[in-house]
Amino acid sequence: MSVVVNLKDAPPGSVAGIEVAYSDDPRDSGWVAKNIPCQHACPAGTNIPAYIRAIAEGRHGDAYEINREANVLPGVLGRICSRPCESACRHGWPGNGEPVGICNLKRTAADMKHAGHRITEKLYSPTGKRVAIVGAGPAGVAAAHDLSVLGHDVTLFEREGHPGGMLRYGIPAFRLPRDILEVELHNALRLGVELRLGEGIGKGTATPVARLLQDYDAVLLTAGCMAPLPLPLEGEWKNRDPADVCADIEHGLPFLMALHRDEKKAVRKRVAVVGAGFTALDCARVASRLGAQEVIIHIRTAEEYIPVTKEEIFEAKREGVRIRGLRTPVGIELDADGRLTGVRFVQNRLGGWRDGGRRQAIPIPGSEFIEPCDTLLIAIGQKTVNDFLDIPVELDRWQNVRIGENGMTSVKGLFAAGDYVTGPTTVIEAIGRGRQGAARVDTWLMGHPRRRKVVRIMPVAGPLRERAFDFIGRQEMPTEPPNERIRSRTLEVETGLSTETSHEEAKRCYLCNLNYQIDVDRCIYCRACIEVAPRACIKLVEGVDMEADGSYGKLREAKEWNRVGAIWIDNNECIRCGACFKVCPVKCISITRNEFVEVDQP
Amino acid sequence: MSTPRHHVVIGSGVAGNQAAETLRQRDPESRVTMITVSKLPFFNRYDLPRVFRGERDWRKFVIYPAEYYLDNRIALRRATKVVNVDGARRTLTLEHNETVRFDTLLVASGASAYMPAELAEYQPLMHGFGAFRDAIAAADALPKDGHVILMGGDTIGLDLGRTLLDVGYRVTVIAEKHTFWPHEIKAEERPLYIEALAKMGFEVIDGHARGEIAAVRAGAPGLAPRRVVFHDGSEIHGDIVMPFFGVAPALDFMLGSGVDIERGLLVQPSLRTTNEAIYAAGDVCQIWSDADKRYHFYHGWKNVRAMGELAARNITGADEPWVPIQDESLQLSADGRIRSPFWEYA
Repeated sequence: MSVVVNLKDAPPGSVAGIEVAYSDDPRDSGWVAKNIPCQHACPAGTNIPAYIRAIAEGRHGDAYEINREANVLPGVLGRICSRPCESACRHGWPGNGEPVGICNLKRTAADMKHAGHRITEKLYSPTGKRVAIVGAGPAGVAAAHDLSVLGHDVTLFEREGHPGGMLRYGIPAFRLPRDILEVELHNALRLGVELRLGEGIGKGTATPVARLLQDYDAVLLTAGCMAPLPLPLEGEWKNRDPADVCADIEHGLPFLMALHRDEKKAVRKRVAVVGAGFTALDCARVASRLGAQEVIIHIRTAEEYIPVTKEEIFEAKREGVRIRGLRTPVGIELDADGRLTGVRFVQNRLGGWRDGGRRQAIPIPGSEFIEPCDTLLIAIGQKTVNDFLDIPVELDRWQNVRIGENGMTSVKGLFAAGDYVTGPTTVIEAIGRGRQGAARVDTWLMGHPRRRKVVRIMPVAGPLRERAFDFIGRQEMPTEPPNERIRSRTLEVETGLSTETSHEEAKRCYLCNLNYQIDVDRCIYCRACIEVAPRACIKLVEGVDMEADGSYGKLREAKEWNRVGAIWIDNNECIRCGACFKVCPVKCISITRNEFVEVDQP
Repeated sequence: MSTPRHHVVIGSGVAGNQAAETLRQRDPESRVTMITVSKLPFFNRYDLPRVFRGERDWRKFVIYPAEYYLDNRIALRRATKVVNVDGARRTLTLEHNETVRFDTLLVASGASAYMPAELAEYQPLMHGFGAFRDAIAAADALPKDGHVILMGGDTIGLDLGRTLLDVGYRVTVIAEKHTFWPHEIKAEERPLYIEALAKMGFEVIDGHARGEIAAVRAGAPGLAPRRVVFHDGSEIHGDIVMPFFGVAPALDFMLGSGVDIERGLLVQPSLRTTNEAIYAAGDVCQIWSDADKRYHFYHGWKNVRAMGELAARNITGADEPWVPIQDESLQLSADGRIRSPFWEYA
C-alpha cells in the first residue's frame, strides 16, 4: 500500500513540488535491499548513496546527519570501520574498477562539517520509563542514544573509568584519536543519559542485576566480549595458558587495555603476534611503537583471507610489521630461566571456505618448526563473560545469553544486545545490534513499535552523474610518514582526504539508490539507449521472473525479435551513468530515488 | 569434429615460453595463446646488465623472432594485461574488458621487484631493473664513472653490480636482510660473504648497523642526485638508487579466481593449483614439498624453464612431480669471490 504525500521542500536533484511516495510494499523494499549493495551490507543500514551525494554537493553537515541517523559515531566509524560496504560496492564488481572509498568519505563528512554544525535529533516526548544499560561500548552507547531520543530515562553503567568500551580501550589512538571519540560519545549521550562510570554491575558489586530489575522498567545488557580466547596448544602445553607461566607472553586485548589505561607496557626485541584480526594487527603496530626490532604476525591461513582491510595490512607493513601465513601455534619454547625463546608452529594447508570469505586451515602432521621470538602476544579472538550475572539467565551452546525475537532474555525485563549476544563482531555491527536492542526495549515498554522502515520514492529530474565520473580513480587516503608515527606513538596515521580529493571520490559513487525504468508503453524500440549503454545493462526480454517478495528477479532475455516482450533496464548491471536517459528521443526513461527512511508508526 | 582445446599462458618469460613450446609439441591441434604485459616479445632478462655495456638495441635481447610464434601457431598478445581470472567459468578478463575463454590456464606471470612497504613512497626516486625500458632509464641516468647505490643487494642486483664494476662504475651495496636473496646463509657465515663482496670491488655499508634505511631523497644542489637516509641520521649519496630486495609474485589478477594463494599461487608437485584447469610455473608459484612438508619457491632460470615444461606436460596428460634441477646454494670460490648458480646462464 503506498501513501502519497506532497513534498514541500524538495532536496537538491529532485523535482520541486512533485509527489513523493512512501511505500511499505515488499517489492519496493526488496528492490532497495537488492540494488543498493553498500547499504544492504552495512549492519547499521547507513544510507550511503545519500550521504555521498551530499558530500558531492558540498553539504558535509547534511552528510554527517544522514550518517548519524544510522550510526551515532560517524567520525569514529569513518576511521576504524571494517568496511563491509566497500566489499559490496558495485563499483568494485568485476569490470567496474575499485570500490568507492565509502569509509574515507564518512570521515570527510565528520571532519569537514561546519565548525558550528548543529546536530539534529527527532525527539519524542518523555515516557516516564526508566532503562538501565550495562556497558558503555559501541552497542551500549548506540542503545542509550536511541532510547533517550525515544523519551526514556536512561542510565548507562560502565565499570571502566571512561565510556567507549573497545573503542577506547581496544583501539590505539593512532587509529582513533581520543578527541574525536570524546566529542562523538558526548554528542551521543548528551540527551539526558546518566553516565555512571567506574560502577560494575552484578556479583560482588553494590549493584546486582536483580536490583537493577527492581529499580528500572527495563535493563539492557551490552557488556561486550572482553575475555580473550585461550590459545589451544598441544603436548605439554595442552589446556594450559602460557600467559600464566611466562611474563613474556600476554593476551592481546588485556595488553591493549592496560596500555590505554595509561599503564606502562613494554615488549622485547623480537615480537610474535598470533591472530588474524584487527586486535592482532593493533598489537603488532603498538609493539613497533614500543621499540620492537622485529614484529611478525603469524596467521593460520593467508593474508588474502584474513578479516582486516587491505589498507590496514599495508600500513602495518609500512611500519615494519611482517605477516607469515599457513601456520598454527602448537607449543611454546622457554629457556632454563623461563624466558620465551620461540613458538613452535605446525605448517598448514588451506582447506574449504568459511563464512565471510575466510578459509579453513588444515595442519599437516609432522611439519612442526620453531620461530624464534622473545615476546608473544596472543590475539586470536574474544568471548563473552557471564560470571557477573547474579540471577539465572538462559545461555546458548556458545555460552552467550539467549534472547528471543523481542530481544529479551529468559528473565522478564532483562534484554541483551551487541557482541554480548552474538559473540565478537565489528564496531559497526555492535552499533547496529545496539540500535536494534533499543528498538526492541522501546517496543516492549510501549506495547507496540513506534517506528518502522518504509521506502521513500522520489522522482529525480535527470541523471545526477556524468559518464566521465566512471573514469575517476579511487582517491587514496594520505598518511603520516612511518618514521613520524613510530616516534610519536599516538600520531593519527591517516590524515584525511582533502576537500578536492573527497569531492572527486564522492563523484565516483554510482548512486545505486537511483532507479532507472523504461516506460514500455511509450518506448519506440529505437535501441538508441542500448547503443550508448556502456555495459549490457539494457536488455530486450521475453519476461521477468518474480522473487518471493514480489520484486523483479531474473531477466529472461529474448534471442529473437519476434519474442521481445519488453525493453528492460537491468538495475543490477546499471551503473547509473545516465547515458540512456540523455539519448532517449521520446523521454520514456524515468529516474526515481528509492531509499529506506524511518517513519512513525501510525 | 571436436573443438581444439584452448591453452592460455599468462606470461612470456622463460617458464611461459618453454610451456608454450611444449604445449605445441604435445598437443598439435590445440590453440595456444600467450598473454604478456611486456611490449617486447620474450627477451633474456638475465642479459639485461648488457645495457650498461652500451648494448641498447632491443632486437639483440629478443630470443625468438616474430616468425617463431607464427610458425608454432602461438598467438602472442603483447602489451596486454589480465585483470581478472574466473576459475569456475574458465574465463579471464583483459584490461580493455575483453573476455577470453580457456580450457587450461598456465600462470607464468613471474615476479616483480619486492619493495618493502616502508620504502614504497620513495619509489619514484629509485630506478627499477625489471624491464628493458627500466634498464635503459637507469643507464641513461648514470653518468660516466657514476655511483650506483644498490639497496638490499639480492642476487639479481649483485649480478648487475658485477657488470657495473667491470665497466668502471662505483657500486655501493647497502647490506641488510635481503642481501644475497634468495640464498639462505647461516648467520655465522654471513660476514665471510660480506667480506667477499668487498673483495669483488663493492663498497658495502651495513644497513642494520645504521638502523636500516629510513628514506630516499633527491640530492641537494652541489650534491649527487640521490641520497639514502638511515634511521641513525647518517646518509650516503649516489647518482642512482636501485632497489634489490628480492621479488614478489605478480599475481594481483588471480585474487578472486578461487585458486589458493599464500604469498604465491599454491600448487601441488604436479604444478596444478586448486583448480584442475589452472597450473602455475616459475616465480609466481609455491610448490608443495612432501619431503619437508612445506610450500617452497624455486628460482633460477633452469628451475623456471623446467617448471614451464613440466606444467605443460601435465596439462597435456602426464602426471609427473616437480623435482628441482638447479642447486640453490651460494658459494665462495678459492679466490674469495662469490659464486651464485643463478649467475650461470651464459
